[in-house]
Amino acid sequence: MMQELSHQMENKDLQVQLSTKQGFPEELPSLLKCIASQTIAGFDSAECSGMNYQTQLVTLPNPQEDATVGEVLEAAKLHGQVNVIFGPPPSSPVEATDCHEPHAISVSMPASPSGLHIVQTKQVLLIDKAGPTAIAGQPNQPSDSDTINSRQPKQGKFHSQPIPYGRATGGKVTDPLESQSRIPRNESQRDKRFDPFKTWSGKLERQLSNLRGKPQEPDLEANDCHGAETETLPAVDRYFDALEGPELDTLRDTEVSVLPEDKKWPFLLRFPISSFGMCLGVSSQAILWKTLAISPSMSFLHVSLTVNLVLWGISLALMATVSLIYSLKIVFFFEAVRREYHHPIRVNFFFAPWIACLFLVLGLPPSVAVNVQPAIWYVLMAPIFCLELKIYGQWMSGGQRRLSKVANPSNHLSIVGNFVGALLGASMGLKEGPIFFFAVGLAHYTVLFVTLYQRLPTNVTLPKELHPVFFLFVAAPSVACMAWAKIRGDFDYGSRMAYFIAMFLYASLAVRINFFRGFRFSLAWWAYTFPMTGASVATIKYSMEVTNVLTQSLSVGLSAISTFTVTALLLSTIIHAFILHDLFPNDISIAITQKRPKFSKKLAHLRSASSDMKDLEASLPKNNSELEL
Amino acid sequence: MEAREQQLPITNSSIPSQTPTTSVNIVATGEALSWLSTLTRFHAGYFRISLSLCGQALLWKILRDPGTDAHALGPVIHIMPSAAFFVLWSLALFSLVALCLLFIIRCLFRIENIKAELSHHVGMNYLFAPWMSWLLLLESTPFLHPKTTGYLVLWWVFSVPIVVLDVKIYGQWFTEGKKLLSMAANPTSQISVIANLVGARAAAKMGWRESATCMLSLGLVHYLVLFVTLYQRFVGCDSLPAMLRPVFFLFIAAPSMASLAWDSISGTFDIASKMLFFLSLFLFASLVSRPATFRRSMRRFNVAWWAYSFPLTMLAMAATEYAQGEEGIVPNALMLVLSLLSALVTLVLVAFTFLKAGNLVPYDEPFAPSPSERTN
Repeated sequence: MMQELSHQMENKDLQVQLSTKQGFPEELPSLLKCIASQTIAGFDSAECSGMNYQTQLVTLPNPQEDATVGEVLEAAKLHGQVNVIFGPPPSSPVEATDCHEPHAISVSMPASPSGLHIVQTKQVLLIDKAGPTAIAGQPNQPSDSDTINSRQPKQGKFHSQPIPYGRATGGKVTDPLESQSRIPRNESQRDKRFDPFKTWSGKLERQLSNLRGKPQEPDLEANDCHGAETETLPAVDRYFDALEGPELDTLRDTEVSVLPEDKKWPFLLRFPISSFGMCLGVSSQAILWKTLAISPSMSFLHVSLTVNLVLWGISLALMATVSLIYSLKIVFFFEAVRREYHHPIRVNFFFAPWIACLFLVLGLPPSVAVNVQPAIWYVLMAPIFCLELKIYGQWMSGGQRRLSKVANPSNHLSIVGNFVGALLGASMGLKEGPIFFFAVGLAHYTVLFVTLYQRLPTNVTLPKELHPVFFLFVAAPSVACMAWAKIRGDFDYGSRMAYFIAMFLYASLAVRINFFRGFRFSLAWWAYTFPMTGASVATIKYSMEVTNVLTQSLSVGLSAISTFTVTALLLSTIIHAFILHDLFPNDISIAITQKRPKFSKKLAHLRSASSDMKDLEASLPKNNSELEL
Repeated sequence: MEAREQQLPITNSSIPSQTPTTSVNIVATGEALSWLSTLTRFHAGYFRISLSLCGQALLWKILRDPGTDAHALGPVIHIMPSAAFFVLWSLALFSLVALCLLFIIRCLFRIENIKAELSHHVGMNYLFAPWMSWLLLLESTPFLHPKTTGYLVLWWVFSVPIVVLDVKIYGQWFTEGKKLLSMAANPTSQISVIANLVGARAAAKMGWRESATCMLSLGLVHYLVLFVTLYQRFVGCDSLPAMLRPVFFLFIAAPSMASLAWDSISGTFDIASKMLFFLSLFLFASLVSRPATFRRSMRRFNVAWWAYSFPLTMLAMAATEYAQGEEGIVPNALMLVLSLLSALVTLVLVAFTFLKAGNLVPYDEPFAPSPSERTN
């Protein structure tokens, strides 16, 4: 059946190609028909709404292939991957009340036959642009396809749409049939495709807009909820199957996203938890400059505490901002947050806010406060404790999330929290609590360290190439060495051993700096700078213990490297934010489908073939703008 | 030997024309034989019972130790007269002796099954259990002081088999191609580690620090390897049936026992012991917060339920030693809560054993001589 479909599609491709090559502009008007399809049985959304809606359909003249392709696409529709509107053959007159199952198949008409997925996304994209014009009578209304799409949150169902380009560029279109639309519309254009990711499937947002006095949309919503089942999250295997890359954030060719890939998603939806990495990076810098200022062995540098104060203020502000934005995301897009929590890499970043808070307390300038209440330590460690219980418990006995499979360098973030907490607690003068967290951290660090070093064949998450995430290896031993020194009271052999391990790992990575190339910048990189800073602080502490030229120059060198890295990262961030505008790209990794798309192999094949068609597509708009639709 | 049981019904049915008395005799013999064969099916897993009871006896002994803070446990201590402790100790002794006798009978009649048990990845670990129970009982003996010759001799008698089993089983881990640790590792493997640690503690109590350190180091190094392997949970390592989920509590027992052993060797509950104790506390919290793991095994009372008691008892013992070293509310509260919990769990299990003794009787032989099949 798949082969048949591909065969059919290829045949169609050929035909379309031929038709487009042979005097395309003349042929188009005859191809395009304004067909209103009424509520056709099997069109769930139409049934739910009980209303008419109009879609512009295009039929392709494939009389002899209709039946077979029709069956195939019918099957495809049943599988929920593609919704195809069966429009009446071009010859028959269009009737608004036409209910019978038509004969021809209408497929959307970008000339490129490249894959159902491309078709889908193009439709979505253009529906969006065409939104105001698709339904006549009232401009600025969300299109029906949005409504349709929202009915099936799990699978991206997209409906055939007419030649989009003409429509999109053609301004207002008057369609005599569209006046039949009975859907009252809001003033604001709510894009319902993102509803599945919103809290309570968008109900919260509607409540809020209701409170703000905007008119509610009618029974559409009731049907919305009625149709949408409770969102079940993809199993961990799905994340591995669907995503690739060192941070598991790139969609494989064979996968589709449940959300439109070429439209910019709402900002909150694009704001990942790894943004807290920025807070980690900056607050660890504050600690570094504080240590540089107050260490006796570094007094020859004459660093003033003002730097620490400034950096601390910046990191505090940054932390507040990022926390605020992420809390908004939790409030409005809770489903997206849940999906992030179930992502094997992102779950580790849920420790980042708390670690950043711990860093803030550690880097507290002496001019602000000297003694901190122990209660703060308990408050900050409680979420870390709960998260740990969950994650380490999963390693031990939790189904599919076994360590031999999910271990990856980002797991260090879950371990480091223990050591940072122990360091802070011991600095505050607490006794038993720091030992508790140190013990737990040490035991699980041993396990993780061995597992990562083994690079087991069953481990699918380890990046094959060197990626900045590997710098997290340096974090745990450096912080552990400082924590142990604080717990014991002096920099004894245990601390020194941990320190030397950290230095060795740092050196191992530094000499391979050539291999850290070719990666797309992401915000998570900020999180990988704090290990460098941690190593610098550990070196300064070591130099206080063993004061000689070598250790002092090492401290200066490492501090310089870490400051330089942070500055470079800051510049990259600014460039991406303000010049390239892609600091927050669409967060594909949370939008994977529940199940593998049925035509995944087909998609990969056709996607690769699509590049040939791109030229053809590019040439279309010029032609379409002449069309009267 | 199962062939014998299968022969019995055939024998019975193939002699229809016997006189009534003879047939009654045969039936009686048949019943006695089937009763005997049931007795011989008590495999080493049943030593969980004696392990728990002996552990509980040791806990009570430590609680009554003068070093314990009397204020915290005052009311509890007074409730517990020494007679009660003696009763518990006697019960532990009785259960251990009975189970040993049963196991000896099993050795006599079902030697192939014993061999199958020794090569099974779960069964082999419970062969440490009798020796551990004897050592715990020895330590908790009210009338035998650790410095006496009797104690010494008995320690040797019970520790040598542990070392022999160590050599066999640990040696298998890293030398033999068939019994890979990555495949055979399961939570019950920690029993071998705990056995070493129990031996180390008993030796340290005697004053034999070198032997104690030797057994401790054996236990610790293999614990390290095992801990990492178990956490990694290789595919194919999920060979533990759902009924045996209670053995996950052994994750708690190992660090507690290590903490106790180090405490008795070094003399004080220092930072290493504290760290091990805290680790076992964390693992306890981790297991208790995942009740779904144990749901399937809790449907029907079986001998695996006894696996809950011993680790809790070890944790309570470690908490007691911790409270002896530290002042404050939290250590004493921990000691109180954990001791009460372990006593309660043991009591409940004893009650269940008496009420539902039928569930405990092994009607099936879990270790078949053939290596292919295995039911538990």
